[in-house]
Amino acid sequence: MNIKDLGPGLQNWLDDRLGLSAIMDFMKKKPVPQTRHSIWFYTGSSILLFFAIQVITGFMLILYYNPTLEEANASVGRIMTEVPLGWIIRSVHSWSATFMIAIVFIHMISIWLIKSYRKPREITWLTGVLLLGISLFFGFTGYLLPWDDLSLSATKVGTDIPRSIPVVGAWVTSLLRGGEDVTGDTLTRFFGIHVCILPIFILILLAIHIYLIQKQGMSLPLKEEVAKKEVRNIPFWPNFIYREMIVWLILVGILFTIAIFLPPSLDRQADLMAAAPEGLKPEWYFLFLFQTLKIFPAKILFFHGDTVAVLLILLGFLYIFFLPFIDNKPTEFKGKIITWSGYAFIIYAIIFSVWSLL
Amino acid sequence: MKLKYSLFSRRQFLNGLLGGWVAALMGSLVYPVIAFIFPPYKEPDEVILPFADFKGMAPGEVRIFAWGSKPGLLKKNEDGTLWAFVGVCTHLDCNVAYLPDQKKFFCACHEGWYDEYGKNIGGPPSTPLRRLSLVIEGQDLIIKKEAPE
Repeated sequence: MNIKDLGPGLQNWLDDRLGLSAIMDFMKKKPVPQTRHSIWFYTGSSILLFFAIQVITGFMLILYYNPTLEEANASVGRIMTEVPLGWIIRSVHSWSATFMIAIVFIHMISIWLIKSYRKPREITWLTGVLLLGISLFFGFTGYLLPWDDLSLSATKVGTDIPRSIPVVGAWVTSLLRGGEDVTGDTLTRFFGIHVCILPIFILILLAIHIYLIQKQGMSLPLKEEVAKKEVRNIPFWPNFIYREMIVWLILVGILFTIAIFLPPSLDRQADLMAAAPEGLKPEWYFLFLFQTLKIFPAKILFFHGDTVAVLLILLGFLYIFFLPFIDNKPTEFKGKIITWSGYAFIIYAIIFSVWSLL
Repeated sequence: MKLKYSLFSRRQFLNGLLGGWVAALMGSLVYPVIAFIFPPYKEPDEVILPFADFKGMAPGEVRIFAWGSKPGLLKKNEDGTLWAFVGVCTHLDCNVAYLPDQKKFFCACHEGWYDEYGKNIGGPPSTPLRRLSLVIEGQDLIIKKEAPE
C-alpha cells in the first residue's frame, strides 16, 4: 500500500465505524446568520477556549498541589518558585479563570439584551445560568486553595452568606464548610468540589447546552425575526470556525501576555486565629455583591440587614434564571422593560464594583 | 361492607405498590448520603486554660485563645474583670481584631465596629459579639459556651 493512501484510507476506515462525515456534513450546512449582533456569537466558543485552558493547566497544577492544612500554602509556593515554569502555569490558570468568567458574563448579558432565550431556547438559557453558577463556584472554591490570609477571610464571608437564608441557610453553610468553621476540612472539601464534583456537572450541562444550540441553530435577533427579513448566512464549517480561530488566537495572546507580566501573588499561610486582614476584597466578579452586602444597614425595620441583602440577591438570581418565562411577550412593552433591566444590571454591577474599590 | 365498584384497578394497585417500594428504596439510599455529607463537628462545650498564663494581663489587654476552630478573645476590663468573647464578627463571620488605642473591636471585612464590651456600634453587624461565660476553679480558667448572666 502506498503511504499516500494511508490518510484517506484511515479516514474511510474511521468513517465507516464512527460516521464522522455525517457530523462534517451537518457543520458544513449549519447556517450562521450575519447580522450586526453576530459578534456575540464569538463569546460562546471563547468560553470553551478558556475552559479548555483551565482543564489543561488544572491537570498540571494538581500534580504538585497538596490540599492539606499544613502543605497547601507551601505547595503553591513550590509551584511558584521551584517547579519549572510553575509560576506561568499558575498564572495562566488564574487569569484564564478571570477571562472565562468575564466572557461568561458578556455572553449572558448579550443573550439577555437580544433576547435569544425566546421560545424554543428556554432550556438553553436555564442550563446557561446554571453554567454561570458553576463557573462562579469554580472561582470561589479555587480562591481558597492557596490557603493564605486573604483567601481564608474571603471564604469565611462567602460561606457565611447562605446562613442568612431562612430555614436551610445554616445547613448550607455547614455543608460548604465541612463543619462549623472554615478549617482544614473546608480546604479538603473545596479541593474535592473544585477538581471532581464541579467538573462533572459542568461537562454534563455543557453537553446539554451545546447539543441544544446545534439542534436549534443560531437565533435571529428579535427585529429580524419579526420583520421576516432575509438574512445572509455563512456556513459554520469552515467559514465561521476560521473566524473564531482568529479570535481565539488573539485571546490566547492577550492571556499569556497578561499572565507573564502580572502573576498572582501568594501571601503567608492562613492563620485561623488571626484577625481578618484589612483591605479584604473578593475576586473582581464578586465585588458588586460584596459592596451590596457592605452598604446594607444592621437593621431594616425588624429584619437583619444582611438577611434582607441576601434575600434580595437570591431574588435577583431567580429573576435571571426564570427570565425566558417572565419575558413571555418580548415584542411588547413588558419585553422592553426586561431589556432595560439588563442595562440596569450592567450599570449596577459596574458602579458597585468600582465603588467597592474606592 | 362490600363496595359496588373497585376504587382502583389491580394494575393501579400494583403500580402503587411498586412505586411506593421504589420511593422507600430511594429514600433509604438518599438518607445515608445526606447524613454523610453533613459534618458532625460542633463547637466545644467548654475550653479549659491554665489560669497562670493569663494572670499577668494588664487592664485593657486582649489575648487570643482557641475556641474550637474559632478564635476566642479574653479581655481584661478596666475594673479588673475578665470577659471572654467569640472573636468572630456577627455579620459574616470574619475574625475581629481589638484596637486597644480606640478601645474597640473591628472587623476588617465589611468595616464592622463594636465597643470595648462587644456591643455593635457601627457598620453592618446587627448583634453584639457573642460572650462566653467564664469561671476560675483553682488553677483552671474554664470558658463555657453559655452566655454569662
